[in-house]
Amino acid sequence: MVSSINNNSYEKNIVLLRSAFREYYFKHSKIIEIPERIEEREFGFMLFEAGMIRHLSFRNIGELLATLIKEVPSDVYCSNAYYRFPTYDMHEKQWVGADLIFDIDAKDLHLPCEAMHSYIICANCGEPQEIKADVCIYCKTGKLNHVSIPCNKCNYGLKKEVKHLVDFLISDLGIKEKTISIYFSGNNGYHIHISDIEFHRLDSQARSDIIGYLIGNDMMTESIGIRKAEASSDGFLVKFPKSGMMYGWRRRIAQKLGIDQTSTTKLHNMVQQKGGYSGFKAELLKMAKDIGVRIDPQVTMDVHRIFRMAGTINSKSGLTKIRCNNEIESFDPLNDACLLSDKEVNVEMKVPIKLKLRGQSFKIRKETARIPVYAAVYLICKGLARVN
Amino acid sequence: MVFLLQYIYKLLSTLSIKLGTGDIAKYPFLNEASDYIRETHFDFEEFNRPEMRHIINRAAERMETELISGTIYQKLDKYEVEILTFLVTLMVAKYIGIGLILKKYSLFEAMRAERFLSEDLKKERNEQRKHLLLSKIFEELFKVTVDVDSTDNRLFKVRVTDYLMRASHFHEQEWKLINRLVHMGYVYLDAEETVRLIRSELSTLIYNRVKSMTLSTFPETIKLKADELRVKLVPKYEHSIYRVTGYYPPCIRHALKVMNQGENLPHSARLMLATYMLAIGKSIDDIVILFHNAPDFNEKITRYQVEHLAGTKGSHTKYSVPSCEKLRNENLCFATEECSGIINPSQFGRNSKNYNG
Repeated sequence: MVSSINNNSYEKNIVLLRSAFREYYFKHSKIIEIPERIEEREFGFMLFEAGMIRHLSFRNIGELLATLIKEVPSDVYCSNAYYRFPTYDMHEKQWVGADLIFDIDAKDLHLPCEAMHSYIICANCGEPQEIKADVCIYCKTGKLNHVSIPCNKCNYGLKKEVKHLVDFLISDLGIKEKTISIYFSGNNGYHIHISDIEFHRLDSQARSDIIGYLIGNDMMTESIGIRKAEASSDGFLVKFPKSGMMYGWRRRIAQKLGIDQTSTTKLHNMVQQKGGYSGFKAELLKMAKDIGVRIDPQVTMDVHRIFRMAGTINSKSGLTKIRCNNEIESFDPLNDACLLSDKEVNVEMKVPIKLKLRGQSFKIRKETARIPVYAAVYLICKGLARVN
Repeated sequence: MVFLLQYIYKLLSTLSIKLGTGDIAKYPFLNEASDYIRETHFDFEEFNRPEMRHIINRAAERMETELISGTIYQKLDKYEVEILTFLVTLMVAKYIGIGLILKKYSLFEAMRAERFLSEDLKKERNEQRKHLLLSKIFEELFKVTVDVDSTDNRLFKVRVTDYLMRASHFHEQEWKLINRLVHMGYVYLDAEETVRLIRSELSTLIYNRVKSMTLSTFPETIKLKADELRVKLVPKYEHSIYRVTGYYPPCIRHALKVMNQGENLPHSARLMLATYMLAIGKSIDDIVILFHNAPDFNEKITRYQVEHLAGTKGSHTKYSVPSCEKLRNENLCFATEECSGIINPSQFGRNSKNYNG
């Protein structure tokens, strides 16, 4: 989000970010989590001015830290997969398994507050857009990025979704709580990592089936006991499955419909009210989607992906991807993940802004301001300010 | 503590009873059947004796029923006959030496065992014997733990991961996890569904038995019967080898190669193959023939699915070829240098075509 049209300002921004990130890696090295079986993981760095480097490997956390302090990447990634040869090309790495990971992002929740705190910024010239258009109204070329300054409602909505996912993982999939790690992503979402080795061996196809289960895709009326009668197109029969309606999706649907194993007539009437088999089928598909968890399917399906590493800084915000398992209820990302220096710097604001970071409220209306580095980095990463 | 006691009980109950000869007749691929052959010091040359003609004819009848009529061989004799019949079928399949025939035969034998096993699991009232069958077949052969549900002994439970590793490759929607009863890490299934889970592995087990068989000479009677069968079988199986040209992208070449070997392609690979063939203008008929070698081929279902992908049936939406990125994620990409610069298999060779022209 650090746009490049004004070279002088761009370079000043990079200098500030690099310096703040280096200081962070120097002072907060203990927050960086050592991935299990580190030597079998692939690492990747996004560099401020040189793009992405992948297929890196580190034998221990010391080696990795030394490289972070020396190179100061804008983003640090680590594979969920374990490879025999992590530095080789993808086809030669020899995949041996991968952690199961879920991504819950505010953009997938479609929260009503989103429009209240979103800005459109040109990726080319970095100018905020006052009106909605296809191309930048200033440079006429740039791709337009949407940036968001999440509010308390976003955080509440995200946490609710995380808890919903964790309920599915424990009560349905039988995943042990101690193998579930919840991380704030460093921007506007949460990553849920499952280290249970039983799930490591699952291929992309099997993970895709888990996704379908969690998001509520492809539910058949037959699985709750409603079968299509052969005689007519919308005729149906109701016979509850012998394995019952007490658990899993069947329990969720039964609760929603207010039925149990004895409610054959009630369910029959409900189906009839919806116009028969097809009408009820459409209703059930919608209901399952509403009950399901909103996760990003691509992230979970990909068994070769590199993920933002826990304890490193997200260059979309300057906040840290940080573990928040035990404190999920009270976790405040704009406070608990905001760990950069509080030295002050001068910035030039592109828009007036009101936000609260690390317990301090900022109401910046004027064009220039002197604010702490953590706030300056946050606003620069969001594309809303530049170093003065 | 409770789990430990349950485990000890299960172990003791399994040790205290043994498989009956009836079980060995139904499941001749079990180690107990091999032990029988070893313990009786059976010599393969004994198949040349006149009293063995019945066994050899029975083996041929079984293979013809399965490979020509396409139906499961139903007859069940006493265990001595079944073990020897099964052995002869394996030797005949080895002697014929056509991979596709062996694949198909292995699948039918797996389905035959599947039918017996689901019946046994449904009818068996003795819990110990039920556990023994589950342990002998699921655990010993395939390392899958299956338990009987404690509240309803018509139901069986398997670990979610064991289920997903198998069922996620099935095509029918009913096998999707969401359409199953899932609770605390287990998927609950009835006897037929439980047994269906291991069909592919059972088929591979039988296939590998034949592949790993080392025989310096075959008994004359078996060679003669195998030659007779080969004449009947070759016309049916020979035409279905689909030509793999050098012009397809490597992902498609790989899928065709797997298909030609009669191996089971995952659903995602079938979708890739069909959408690709549609994109390059192949007819529905040609594409249906292409899937002829799939072990679970059913022309009616395949035709409907291809027509669905072509947008002529069902949702009337034409499916496009999955992107290279998606195929990479699904482990279906086998990129070579020729793939550089393309993001979809349907773009493969376009540049070289221009260059050649």
